[in-house]
This record gives sequence, structure tokens and C-alpha cells, in this order.
Amino acid sequence: MDMATNIADWDWMNFFVSMLIVGIGVALLATGIFTSYFGAGKSQKIGFALLFFGIFDLIIIYLLTFDALEGIESIFDSELFTDALLSGVSALAGMIIGMFAILFVLMKVDTVDDLEDLDLEDLEDLDLDEELKKLEEELNQADNSKEEEE
Amino acid sequence: MMDIIISMGLTGVMLAMLGMGLLISYYGSSKTRNVGLVFLAIGIGLVYYITSVDDSAVHFGNAFIAFLGGMLGGIIGIVIFLVAIIKS
Repeated sequence: MDMATNIADWDWMNFFVSMLIVGIGVALLATGIFTSYFGAGKSQKIGFALLFFGIFDLIIIYLLTFDALEGIESIFDSELFTDALLSGVSALAGMIIGMFAILFVLMKVDTVDDLEDLDLEDLEDLDLDEELKKLEEELNQADNSKEEEE
Repeated sequence: MMDIIISMGLTGVMLAMLGMGLLISYYGSSKTRNVGLVFLAIGIGLVYYITSVDDSAVHFGNAFIAFLGGMLGGIIGIVIFLVAIIKS
């Protein structure tokens, strides 16, 4: 893999800006579908607006990349745009696969600490009868104070 | 094309392993911490593999800023959605 780190040489326009606009479009589309389907009244109208802007955004980026209409000059290189889209989707898919692998391993591994690891010395010092009496006294005091108030 | 898919897919797995490995090894209990350290080791191994693969057709910087751009765009889109819902 070409690991060149000179930021000035990176193709920000074709890779970063194009994917930024696609990301906004996909997010608006997804939230628009969700809100227009599950929303009611005003929320549903906002959902339709978001859906419209999402579709509009994606159509614009398509027209600006693939020379679909005559008279509109393309801003992004179509081959580089495809590479950028593939890179973004692949990295996202890789992250999702990694997260699933981590969750699978965590669920399979016994993550509960053994009781042997617990420090039982504190528990041995406790006198349970004494603690119970203290608790009863506190409860009685609370009841008495309530009755006095009434 | 397959080079990009494989290398960026591995990059995504690497990011997940390093991020989650750090979190789990720091905040995890005694048993979970060991699992977190294993994830960290896998992540570091993937870093070594990705940087050492001799494939100059894939420009890591460009591919990574494409991924960052997509993520940032998604976040901006969701912020727009939240602003629209909250302001209505």
C-alpha cells in the first residue's frame, strides 16, 4: 500500500469532498425515509423534506461526476469517485465486521470474575444480627417521625 | 478494485480492534482485560500487515480521507435531521 504521508499530495477534492457530500446525502435519505414513514403530522412533513433533499443531493453528485447531462461540466473524476466510494464502503464494512467479531468473542468468553477473587474478609467482620437491629431501629425512627408530623 | 476492498476492509477491522481493544483493556474486569489485550495485539498485527503489504496501487491517504469524509458527511446529515426535528 502506498503510505505516502505528504498531505499536500492527497486528492482532497475527489476523495474527501465527494464522499462528504455523498455522506450527507445518504444520511438525509435514511433519516428522511425513517421520519416520513414513522412520523405523523409535522414530523412526517419534515421527513418528506429530508427525503427530497437527500435524493436531490445524490442526483446532483451523480450529475457532477458521471457526465449524465450535456452542458453540465463534471467536477469529480468518475474513476476516482468510484475508488473513493469503494474505500469508504469497504472501511465501514470492515469496522462492522470487526465489531461483530469483538462482540462474538466477548459473549463467548466467560467475563464474570470468580467468587474466589472476591475479598471476603470484609464480609466475615460483619455481625448480621447487629446490622439487622440497626436497620429495624432506623425504620422505627422513620415511622415515628412520620406519625408525629401527622 | 479488489485491492482497495481488501486493504480498506482490513483497515476498518484494524480500527475496530484497536479502538475496542483499548477501551476493553482499560475499563474491563480482570478477565475481560485479557481479551482486550488480545484485540489490541490483533490490531497491532493488522497495522504491521497493512503497512508492509507491497501494493502501491492503493493510496492509503486518499482512501482514508474518503472514509473520513463519508463519516463526517453522515454525522453532518444526522445533525441536520436533529436540528430540523428539534426546531419544528
